[in-house]
Amino acid sequence: MAEKAKRAGLEPMPLDLLNEPLVWLFAEHYRHRDICARLTRLSTEVVCDEPALREVIDFFEIDLPLHIIDEEDDLFPLLRRRCEPEDQIERVLGMLSLDHSRDQTAAAKVKDLMERALEKQTGLACLADAGTIIANFCALQKNHIALENAVVLPIARLRLSDSDLGALSKRLSARRGRFVTTGSEE
Amino acid sequence: MIDRLLDNNLSWAATRVRIDPGYFQRLSLQQSPEYLWIGCSDSRVPANEIVGLDPGELFVHRNIANLAPPRDINFLSVLQYSIDILKVRHIIVCGHYGCGGVRAALTEQRYGLIDHWLQPVADLAHEHESHLQAISDFDTRVNVACEHNVRTQVESLGKNPFVKDAWRRGQKLSIHGWIYSIRDGLLRNLEISVDRPKAVDALSKRPWFPDD
Ligand SMILES: [Fe+2]
Ligand SMILES: [Fe+2]
Ligand SMILES: [Zn+2]
Repeated sequence: MAEKAKRAGLEPMPLDLLNEPLVWLFAEHYRHRDICARLTRLSTEVVCDEPALREVIDFFEIDLPLHIIDEEDDLFPLLRRRCEPEDQIERVLGMLSLDHSRDQTAAAKVKDLMERALEKQTGLACLADAGTIIANFCALQKNHIALENAVVLPIARLRLSDSDLGALSKRLSARRGRFVTTGSEE
Repeated sequence: MIDRLLDNNLSWAATRVRIDPGYFQRLSLQQSPEYLWIGCSDSRVPANEIVGLDPGELFVHRNIANLAPPRDINFLSVLQYSIDILKVRHIIVCGHYGCGGVRAALTEQRYGLIDHWLQPVADLAHEHESHLQAISDFDTRVNVACEHNVRTQVESLGKNPFVKDAWRRGQKLSIHGWIYSIRDGLLRNLEISVDRPKAVDALSKRPWFPDD
C-alpha cells in the first residue's frame, strides 16, 4: 500500500509547450511511452489500483484521440502540402495513418480491460487476456512513435515555416480549449 | 418532436430581443453581407456558427460536397446576385474532412441521382488516380480528395464569367479555399486564395502533389 501511495501520477503536459507544436508532439510521445510502461506494470498486478486505472482510461478517452487529430487532421495534411518529392512523405504517412486506425481498435480493447478490472475490483494480472492486449498495444505504439520521432518530426522541422508552426500552435491550443490570438492569449 | 423546433425558435427570438430589442427590426431593413459561403450540406458544418457571424453577415449556398458547378442555375443565381447586387468582398469555399459526398464519389457504390451530382468529384479523383491510390489509408485518401475538391471549386470560380467581369470592373473580390474538421470544429486555410486573374493562372499551375 505504501509503495502504491508513493507512485507518482502521470505528468500533466506543460501547456506552454503548445507554443512550440513540434516540441509538444515530441513531449506527448514521451508521455505515450510512459503510459505503455505503466500499462506493462499494471498488467502484472493482482490488486486493483483504481487511481492508476482511471488515469489510463482518461488518457484513452481524452489525450490519445486529440493527439491523433493533431496529426491526422493537422500536421499530416500540412506536410503533404509542404514536402518535396525527395521526402517521399506519402509512404511514411500512409503507414502511420494505418497505425492510427489500428490504434483506435487496440485502445478500445485496453480501455475495456481497465473498465473490467474496475468493475471486478481486481488487478489486471487476474484478467486472462490482459497480457496479450497490453503487449499488442505497446508494440504498436513503440514502432509508431519511433517512426514519428525519427522521420516525421525532423521533416516537419525542415519543411514547415514559422507561420505554419504558428497556425498549428493555435489549433493545437484551441483543440484543448485555449484561445490564442496573434501574439497574446485569452 | 417537430414542435420542439418551433419552441426552440420562440426561445431563440426571445433571447435575441432581450439582449437587443431593435435587433430584428434593424435586420429586416437590409442585408449587406460581405461574404458568400459555399459549403457542404452536411448538418455538422453550420456556416454562420463556425465563423461566429450573425444573421445578415453571411450569404450562404450549401450543397452536397460544396460544389460550384458552372452550369447549375441555382448556384449561378446565388453567385451572380451576391457579386452584382450584394457586392460581397469574399467568397469562401469551405470543404470538410470526411465529406460523405466525396467519399461516395471515390467508391463504386451507387446511391442514385446523387451519383450524377458527384460526377465532377469522381472525375477529379480519376484525374489524380495514381497519386490518390498511393495513399494507402482510405479515410486519408478521402480527406486529400476533399482538399483537392475545394481547390477545384476555387479555380473554377476564378474562371467564372461573373467573377471575371467583377474583376474587370475593378470590383474587389477574393476567393478563398478552407477546410473544416468535424472532429475538432476548426477551419484550416488551404492558402489558395485568389483575387485577380493572374492569381488564378498561378494557382492552376501549382502542382497538386509534390511529385507532379
Ligand atoms: Fe504521434
Ligand atoms: Fe501518431
Ligand atoms: Zn460534406
